Amino acid sequence: MIDDRQEELASLHAFGLLEGAELEQFVAQMRGNPELRRRVAELRAVAAGLAHTAPDAEPPAALKARVLASAASRAAAAPLLRFPAWVPWALAACLAIAVAWTGRQYSDMRAANASLADEKRIAEQALALTRAQLDEAKRLVTESSRQVAELSTKLKDEGDLAHFKIATLASMLGNSPAAVAVAVWDPSRQRGVLSVSKLPPAASQKDYQLWVIDKQYPAPVNAGVFVVDPATDEAHIVFKADKPLGNIAKFAVSLERKGGVPSREGPVVLLSE
Amino acid sequence: MSFALPIFQLSFARIGLGSLPLRTRLSARMTGPGDMDSPEDRARVDAALIRRMAGGDRDALAELYDNLSRPLYATARHILNDAAEAQDVVHDVFLSLWENASSFDSGRGAAFSWAVTLTRNRAIDRLRTRSNRARLLGNSIPDDLGYGEEPAEAGGSAKAELGDRAVAVRSALAELPPDQQKALELAFFSGLTQKEIAEKLSEPIGTIKARIRRGLLKLRDALANRL
Repeated sequence: MIDDRQEELASLHAFGLLEGAELEQFVAQMRGNPELRRRVAELRAVAAGLAHTAPDAEPPAALKARVLASAASRAAAAPLLRFPAWVPWALAACLAIAVAWTGRQYSDMRAANASLADEKRIAEQALALTRAQLDEAKRLVTESSRQVAELSTKLKDEGDLAHFKIATLASMLGNSPAAVAVAVWDPSRQRGVLSVSKLPPAASQKDYQLWVIDKQYPAPVNAGVFVVDPATDEAHIVFKADKPLGNIAKFAVSLERKGGVPSREGPVVLLSE
Repeated sequence: MSFALPIFQLSFARIGLGSLPLRTRLSARMTGPGDMDSPEDRARVDAALIRRMAGGDRDALAELYDNLSRPLYATARHILNDAAEAQDVVHDVFLSLWENASSFDSGRGAAFSWAVTLTRNRAIDRLRTRSNRARLLGNSIPDDLGYGEEPAEAGGSAKAELGDRAVAVRSALAELPPDQQKALELAFFSGLTQKEIAEKLSEPIGTIKARIRRGLLKLRDALANRL
């Protein structure tokens, strides 16, 4: 249904007399009103008929030749530009799709580029961190190696010590109860150290003789004689046994004849626990 | 409907235009099978020519030029009041039709309406860009829109070759009240705005709008009865 107002606007629009907001409002009405569009087209055709009311004038003959010549030159200049009506729309659609696709690609690539930049930054940070960690690890390895070496040395020493046989020998003499001695035996080297203190020197025809009681032998094994320094009542000797020792039970010192004896004869003056 | 008629004379007085300010007695010589075709037949012929033009047929352009150039040139010349500029406008319009023939949709209007709209718009554009617009407007819009004058180039047989459509439109326009005729003539040929038309006719703008509406609707109904 078209009311009088719309019909008036349609009449004015047929002559192109609408302007500004009035034109915009009417065009908006036309979009949703097919009947109004038909009415405008109808009135526009009627208005076009007014061209017949102009004073008659015949165009000069040269004008037709000019028009045809121009058309020929246009056709020769662009023979391939004459397409069916749908072609420009198709091209426009393709262009729009291409633009959209390119825009999407550009956006994606920008996003990917930003993402890659972020990843690169993260990777660089990770690399720097890894390098720092590597340096720290190297330092730790060096330190650990040093500590391991030290520990190994300590462990070796401790292991060696563990294997050592260490014993304290107590006095068995009534007149020298403070006499004491420490014996250390290194089984791997089959060699030992004896340190004696506060032991009175032996008489001139006597010598102190060290004995090692090993369970694998029925009799004490001779480990040599030693002399006490009369100035200090001390003696420090390195000793070896006459037989290989492997299962030491005790150490003992006896007072023997000068030069020692093959088997213990004299009294025991020092004995380990 | 396609048949030949003998040449005959048609005067405005014979079709009731004697009361108009159109004092000129125009005669129309109608020749050929197309002269008595209905507007619908002519629209179909023109649409077919434009379709051929879309395929690059320059002969079709020549035929369309023969069919339309006269009212288009007359319109451009009447608006511009300048023969050389009118020729430029018609030249440009036919080139535009030639180059845009593929976009023509006969469902949205006749080729004649399309061509007239192009011609009128281009002529008015030229008119409005003239630096001495006011003076030229005054010169280009004679009070009776030239109906009382002999067109400078329309003489002899050329003047007589108006079609039945032109006669019908002139007759229908002549039957309108003079104030509505004037409003339509200014609306179509002057390039003036609603406000300028109202000022020129010394009437309220609402009155001008109403006259244009009533005149156009009457013209439509009158043409429907005549054609």
